[in-house]
Amino acid sequence: MHIPDGILGAGVCLGGYATAGAAAWWSLRKIGRKANPREGIPKASLLTAAFLVASWIHIPVPPASVHLVLNGLLGVVLGYYAFPAVLIGLFFQAVMFQHGGLTTLGVNATIMGVPAFLAYHLFRLRRIFGKDSLVGTGIFGFLAGAGAVGLAAAAAFIILITTIPAGLDVEAQRASIIALTLAHVPLMVIEGAFTALVALFLHRVKPELLEG
Amino acid sequence: MKLGLDAHANLSTPLHRWDPRHKLVALMALIFSFASVRDLRLLPALLAASGALYLASGLPLSFLLSRLRLPGFFLLMIAVILPFLSGRTVLFHIGSLAVREEGCLALLLIAVKFACILTVGTVLFGTTPFLTTVKAMQALGLPCILADMTFFSCRYLYEIGDDLKTMQTAMRLRGFRGRRPGSLSALASLAGTLLVRSYEQSDRVFKAMILRGYGRPASFRDGFQADFRDWAWSAAVVLAAAGLAAAEMLLR
Repeated sequence: MHIPDGILGAGVCLGGYATAGAAAWWSLRKIGRKANPREGIPKASLLTAAFLVASWIHIPVPPASVHLVLNGLLGVVLGYYAFPAVLIGLFFQAVMFQHGGLTTLGVNATIMGVPAFLAYHLFRLRRIFGKDSLVGTGIFGFLAGAGAVGLAAAAAFIILITTIPAGLDVEAQRASIIALTLAHVPLMVIEGAFTALVALFLHRVKPELLEG
Repeated sequence: MKLGLDAHANLSTPLHRWDPRHKLVALMALIFSFASVRDLRLLPALLAASGALYLASGLPLSFLLSRLRLPGFFLLMIAVILPFLSGRTVLFHIGSLAVREEGCLALLLIAVKFACILTVGTVLFGTTPFLTTVKAMQALGLPCILADMTFFSCRYLYEIGDDLKTMQTAMRLRGFRGRRPGSLSALASLAGTLLVRSYEQSDRVFKAMILRGYGRPASFRDGFQADFRDWAWSAAVVLAAAGLAAAEMLLR
């Protein structure tokens, strides 16, 4: 889901930087309205690093294993800090580990960060079931995790298939987008289940981490 | 901190001595001009520019090759798909699959742009210590919340990575193999523990930082100072980037 350098044209890359810049500006504005905006920085930073490290965990999917994206979980835990965290995490991945790219940083941040932010708002709906409901935490944890990765996958494929510089016909494009997104349904289920399990773990052990 | 990226950041070449703010702006302009190229006739210019920069940087070739290895797998995936699915002009057949000209040319364009952008990116981040580059971004206007988050995340990334390794070793010593789908719950607890530990550590870090004056205005300057040579390097690279973008527009 990390689009590397060289695939997208400069216009799309600059557009990605513009949308990522707008989303980052909006997040920072929300953070800036807190009583002490700097208070949350160490927490958000260490959790950003922890999320990056947690995404290295191999999840067994016989006969292979997969790495999770965890953008939904990031939204669930970090709230308004989720977008800056995604941006920084992707910057590290592009510069240190060559996942993604420098020109595509804005596009990748938008693809993963906006769903993370939506996951945060979706997870907040768990209060319908009551503040301390395990059922609500599980259900909305699953929806936040699965939804965020599903949205990110669909956005990535739409951008990739519609901007690859060689002619695919419209029907082939549509079929490819649907096929590739459907191929990610098992990953959405795993990501949703993993997010729900982590949210339930945090609910038991450190509920203040789910306050966003 | 084990930043492999900084392994050659202390060499002494003109590129290493180039003001990091200028280097960031000029090389990013070059990278975006590479991304704008769609005409195959410009690919030799891309290769020449990125090759010349890499030679001037004095970075070893093995350093670049080690950074190309991982994203190379993604490129391989595209190489498998594009020539068969994209375009209409059939070049030849492999069994029942037709290899198409447009797909092959698109693959060539993507591969060269990808390699050149990665090469310039390696020069950009390999010739300046990573934290100095972030300070340069801050000097160029990166909001302090983003800069602080980048510094802290970078500081603790490998420490938390070591924590994960220790916990995984402890799990293995207790018989956990993590090969069955049923182990998802244990892995979720592992990730959750990592988050809880980091959260608790962040509390201690914040208190220690407050004691050291965190949040007050800095009483020192960022220390960057550009001279004539910095401006000359920047002008040369930005002109090259503008030339590439102009050539692309003229050739269209």
